[in-house]
Amino acid sequence: MSRLDRTRTSAHQLRPFFSSQNLLNRADGSAQFDFGESSVMCSVIGPAEVKLRDEKLDKATLEVVVRPLVGLPGIKDKAREQAIRETLEPLVLSGLHPRTGIQIVVQTMKDDGSILATAFNATILALLDAGIPLKSILGAVTCIVDSETNQILLDPTTQELANAKSTHTFVFDNKSSITSSPENKDQEEAVEVATLYSDSTGLFSEEEYFECAQICYKAVQAVHGFIRTAVQKKLEKEQQQIHS
Amino acid sequence: MATPAFTFTPSTFQKLHPAEFFRRFTTEGVRPDGRLLDAFRPTTVHHGVISTANGSAMVRIGGTTVVCGVKAEVAEPKLDAPDQGYLVPNVELSPMCSSKFRPGPPSEQAQAVSEAINRVLKESKVLDLKDLCIEEGKAVWVLYVDAVCVAYDGNIFDAALAAIMAALNNVRIRKPTYQEGTIKVSGGSTATDENSFTLKLARTPLSATFAIFDTTLTILADPNVTEETISDGQISIALDETGQLCGVTKIGAASCSQSAMKDCVQSAKKRTQQLRNIMNQQ
Repeated sequence: MSRLDRTRTSAHQLRPFFSSQNLLNRADGSAQFDFGESSVMCSVIGPAEVKLRDEKLDKATLEVVVRPLVGLPGIKDKAREQAIRETLEPLVLSGLHPRTGIQIVVQTMKDDGSILATAFNATILALLDAGIPLKSILGAVTCIVDSETNQILLDPTTQELANAKSTHTFVFDNKSSITSSPENKDQEEAVEVATLYSDSTGLFSEEEYFECAQICYKAVQAVHGFIRTAVQKKLEKEQQQIHS
Repeated sequence: MATPAFTFTPSTFQKLHPAEFFRRFTTEGVRPDGRLLDAFRPTTVHHGVISTANGSAMVRIGGTTVVCGVKAEVAEPKLDAPDQGYLVPNVELSPMCSSKFRPGPPSEQAQAVSEAINRVLKESKVLDLKDLCIEEGKAVWVLYVDAVCVAYDGNIFDAALAAIMAALNNVRIRKPTYQEGTIKVSGGSTATDENSFTLKLARTPLSATFAIFDTTLTILADPNVTEETISDGQISIALDETGQLCGVTKIGAASCSQSAMKDCVQSAKKRTQQLRNIMNQQ
């Protein structure tokens, strides 16, 4: 089958990833993550000074600012801020930096659908770039149920989102990743997935929801692998620069 | 064994170690207010509480009270949808309902709840917006849906969504009369079936919210304000009358298993059915 963006042939195919780290020289950490033509840049400053009224005695205070592609931030961006902050709270080892603040700024650079998932991935790359201690990394992916074919399409573009009966964004951590081994490839058994963040809107059945979760869980393994490779390559390059 | 140097009254212990105090109850399967972990608070719904609004309702879930009023106004349609009216939902959390809200622009929580409700109303196609068209490209009905919280005791999402759906159910809008390019809406005599129309709702989504507490990821149904403060995460599930899901959100706290989500969906089905019975009775 041919997807609307004509570069993909399968319903369960993600758009090509792209990422870049350490782009901003005034931030402690920064990263850009792309899902095809959707691009989000994230900067992290911290652990740093925090206002007295926001100070927590035993933990670092996370602050997230989401800036849209165009215009002033609205309630949609405020909802995204809450989503990103609440999802990162259990992952960041904030007990190691009490009475400090970690400020995360997320800027949409290009919008072709699945912006929240792109933002989550850019944020975790930026946190890794800044060296903030984390319990695990996360990976996010969006899927839709097409209104005409009732098929589950992964990583939709803006055009595909317009034809969606329901839209689902899932975020998974990498604590329960499937390790690819010859035995696993033969058995396509349902894995017990554990969701870190889930947001679904539209009209859908319970079966569709859990099926979307399974499909997104498998796809997120690719995102985790990509993040690992991206950080590895960056460290190798830094090592080369030190020794050259 | 030596007696401990300090002994606390329960209320002092609660102030010093709120999470530990709570844990003593949840390990026994109850909560400090006496509810079981999966019990929802008593709920009441009153329709038509604001006579000057086109539609209104008041919902009480335990100590949380939300009053919703719907006002219909004539406006120009949006450029990309010239034959559709639109809804403008807004949830207000002011210092009036709780001391944890400061005066000033809407807090992040109020904006996030407003956006969540806006998405449920829009994406589950509650209303056919073409029904709100008066004259294509020139005039449409815009419905300002204001849900004001007058008492906050946790779980604003369920209360606000229920109040908004109950208010939309009893909206009555005067039929406009056309006079040479201007639209007149009479305000005079009482609204009857002849001079006014009601909204045709395609579905009535209602929700059930659960808090996720502690490292054991204990699920608490319908959290009150103390439970919300000590909980790490929240799960909200919205269903319509046919049992179709209209929205699922899981935010905060560590990863939740699918079986926990499945239990929440089952509990939400029972709860929304109970809510519908309450709404239809009164």
